[in-house]
Amino acid sequence: MKLRDDFVQELKSLVGQTNHQVSVSDGLRTIRCKVLQCDPLGAAISDLVLETGELATADIAKLETASKSLCGRVTYLLEPISPIEIDSTGCVVQMRSNPPHKDDNGLKYYELTLRQGGSVSLTRYEKQPANSRLPVPATLTHEVLSRLVEDFSIAVDEVLPS
Amino acid sequence: MVMDIQRDQRRFKQIVRGRIRQNLRKYITHGEMIGRRGRDAVSIPVPQLDVPHFKYGKNGSGGVGQGKGEVGDPLSQPGEGPEGAGGAGSDPGSGHLVEVEVSLKELAEMLGEELELPRIQPKGTANIESEKAKYNSIRQTGPESLKHFKKTYLRALKRQITTGNYVPDDPCIVPVKGDKQYRSWNDVPLPEVNAVAIYMMDVSGSMTDEQKHIVRNEAFWIDTWLTNQYRGIETRYIIHDAIAKEVDEHTFYHTRESGGTRISSAYKVCADLIASTFPSEDWNIYCFQFSDGDNWGDDNRVAFELLNQKLLPVVNAFCYGQVESPYGSGDFIDSLRKEFNNHESLILSEIPDKDAIYNSIKTFLGKGK
Repeated sequence: MKLRDDFVQELKSLVGQTNHQVSVSDGLRTIRCKVLQCDPLGAAISDLVLETGELATADIAKLETASKSLCGRVTYLLEPISPIEIDSTGCVVQMRSNPPHKDDNGLKYYELTLRQGGSVSLTRYEKQPANSRLPVPATLTHEVLSRLVEDFSIAVDEVLPS
Repeated sequence: MVMDIQRDQRRFKQIVRGRIRQNLRKYITHGEMIGRRGRDAVSIPVPQLDVPHFKYGKNGSGGVGQGKGEVGDPLSQPGEGPEGAGGAGSDPGSGHLVEVEVSLKELAEMLGEELELPRIQPKGTANIESEKAKYNSIRQTGPESLKHFKKTYLRALKRQITTGNYVPDDPCIVPVKGDKQYRSWNDVPLPEVNAVAIYMMDVSGSMTDEQKHIVRNEAFWIDTWLTNQYRGIETRYIIHDAIAKEVDEHTFYHTRESGGTRISSAYKVCADLIASTFPSEDWNIYCFQFSDGDNWGDDNRVAFELLNQKLLPVVNAFCYGQVESPYGSGDFIDSLRKEFNNHESLILSEIPDKDAIYNSIKTFLGKGK
């Protein structure tokens, strides 16, 4: 897959660098990723987004089906993912770690959204006791990042009319 | 004359009330302990209540002996013989629970005393009048069940005196049909203050059963208090995810949706309901909204606009309780604080768990608005 391979190549070129915005495109789909820190094994990212105009007319039923399928494939993160809210008004499906990770410092979870328009995105959040929820860096290996790009792309394919 | 049994019953009731008061925080936190008994009463399990019972003495307590022994062996009295093999249990007893019935009015009074809640000051003047039948007059006709014996006999006495049939040495009064007097009623206009409580709950995918349980408990206690403050209070329920609708009480407590969270949808339904049914000049309006605060993106702006223009100006109090979902509390409550800094009609409360219900009720109702 060209998009995935280009993204991995871009990541490799960023080893040792900090705060770099990655953007790779195959013409129809664009991967955007804010890389906070990158080393030979993995990277700390603030978010990972696949943007595409192919989802402009996607309906909520298809987005819901594709989100369930995406959750079934993305089993390699720190927590299992499942759809939490399906907003038919805004045509967005929100998926989160289910259950979220809890420890003495509060809780952490991934949030993925699949939205009409459209995009697929991933962000990690942290909620410390008595504090507001904040997005935090997600630390992922290059291999996991490349699999995410591939799975995001498959999710878009599943929404498109066959 | 008050009979002894009535005095004992009154004393027993006082003890029960005392126990309920002692454990009120627990009942508020664990609403599932409270069972409904019709419209106006609930049953509450009261632990460790010493129910009066007979104690038997030693006399005549010895029974027929059984087991090993020879003819002529003396039988020991209870408590005197050698101890058996069985020892005392080491685990604490489970305690006896007695279900006592308490009226919602009494429960509300206990709640008010325990939380030191001020009486609510109704908005405006009592300008709505309702008619109430009051038995305050006498008529010549009516059902026998309403016959006024004293007035009937007085009238018969007057008649007998005026007709010369009354003999003071042999006072015998016999009413005839024309003497009969009956109680009758008049319609008396009563000033009445109207009030409505509108409950709004987020039932989106991120609100789990536990959060809804917290909301249900809190709503029950708030409703109990408001019902005690206003006779015939109206109650309305709104649920929402991305779309809101007015529902009945059962649906309010038992629905689970999976939609996104758009709080503005509930505000819109609430504002429409108030505008169409409960004009603010005639009604005291209380809104109670519960959500995990995980509102979608740009919806805050629309929600705040509705709150500012259509809800806050017409309500006595707008209470927002933010429960904590498995993903932590959302940002809605912080945004409300920033947008409506110390607005007099807006009361905010964070409810991280069941134990926080108690203080949340106090926050909502403690202002006596």
